Amino acid sequence: MIRRILSLAAVVITALLLQSTVFGQLRLLGVRPELLYLVTISIALLEGPNEGATVGFVSGLAQDFLMNEPKGLTALTLTLLGYGVGMFRQFIVSPSPLVPTIVVGIGTAAGIAFYEIVSVLLGNFHEDTAYGVKVALLTAAYNAVLTPILYPLLRRITEGSRPRRVVRF
Amino acid sequence: MVTHPRPRGTRLLVVALVSLSLVIITLDYREGSTGPLAEAGRWTQATMAPLQQAVWTVTRPIGDFFSGLAHLPSLERENADLKTQVANLQADLAGRSNVETQLQTVTDLLGLKQQLFPDGVAAVVIGNGVSNFEWSVTINKGSDDGIEVDQPVVAGAATTPRLVGRVTQVTSNSATVQLLIDQNFAVAGRLSPTRATGLVQGRGEQDPEMDGIPQDTNIDITGDQPVQVFTMSYEINGQHGRYPPGILIGEVSSVIQSTNALETAVTIRPAVDFASLEYVLVLKTAASQEGNGG
Repeated sequence: MIRRILSLAAVVITALLLQSTVFGQLRLLGVRPELLYLVTISIALLEGPNEGATVGFVSGLAQDFLMNEPKGLTALTLTLLGYGVGMFRQFIVSPSPLVPTIVVGIGTAAGIAFYEIVSVLLGNFHEDTAYGVKVALLTAAYNAVLTPILYPLLRRITEGSRPRRVVRF
Repeated sequence: MVTHPRPRGTRLLVVALVSLSLVIITLDYREGSTGPLAEAGRWTQATMAPLQQAVWTVTRPIGDFFSGLAHLPSLERENADLKTQVANLQADLAGRSNVETQLQTVTDLLGLKQQLFPDGVAAVVIGNGVSNFEWSVTINKGSDDGIEVDQPVVAGAATTPRLVGRVTQVTSNSATVQLLIDQNFAVAGRLSPTRATGLVQGRGEQDPEMDGIPQDTNIDITGDQPVQVFTMSYEINGQHGRYPPGILIGEVSSVIQSTNALETAVTIRPAVDFASLEYVLVLKTAASQEGNGG
């Protein structure tokens, strides 16, 4: 259990570090990927709603603490996103390797849109609607492109950290 | 995919986490920058700063490479304008190593510090903002070096200090700098030939806008000399502005046709290339210590 927590914590910290350094530079058409959204959705797909919501909350809160935006907003967004994707995975019957890519793309767009709407309600969203839509769609596209590279890595990490069953005869 | 029936525990967990998020949002709104959540934010940033610096050092060349690819369309557009400058610069740069170039940048910054701002603190950029909705960088100097919230940040040489932004958050070993292109950034500006004044506001990916300029101001951006915008000094009720006068903000890139009979507005191309920002100078100005407005 401790190994599992440490593995997921390492994943979140690594994603946060990459997001605030190398991915921070990668603004394509003015928008950059959101690694923590990708990590939350992937963990939720691989492990289910419990882990999805927990990883979403922790990674969202960590991102909130590094931003000048209202704290708790990303945590709320990623908690609901992790739970939603985790619950949705029971309806996925296709074994296609494209499934994670599509789910990450749609999930990221939905998550960013939710974040923007709540920001508007809190009076903290100063960009225009066109920019909001552009960010949601482009971030979804970038995350979808990154998924075939990062999803197998995350699957290996989560499977490797699962407690091994001991069978006694 | 495997189907598992979900116990009530999952729903309880989500309700608890959502409730906790809502409590955090509420507390953050009530307490602002003085409560325990803001303190937790500063602690997180202080903890992450050394790690960011290490990762930044290793991954910066990779980021620069992909950033260059990402900016290829705009680079092509700028290419024609830059060709003439490149011809002159090539002679200077011939024979210089990368280390020498960096040394020149730091020397320029040192000259800027010694001549104009002797109390300034030179710092290295070690990270970027993590969100698509804020434009900020993290620097490797903090309150241990005398940096405080609201202090102005500049780049460039002694002859042409260029405005980068202002400090918005400080930890013992790092600080967050809000860039002048951030939507929440504003500074009083003055046009170079006419001395007309206005308010410069960040607009994210778009060029910042300067409005409140008197309608009868002559702004000719087609001439040989670019129309530049500088910070300006002012005093309201005995309080001075946050930024020292004469720091270059940028050049006017277009004039916005105003429907207002009294005022006009322009867009400004920032003087600083934020994509390749590496060294900055934080100014310990008296005005910033008073914590006054832009």
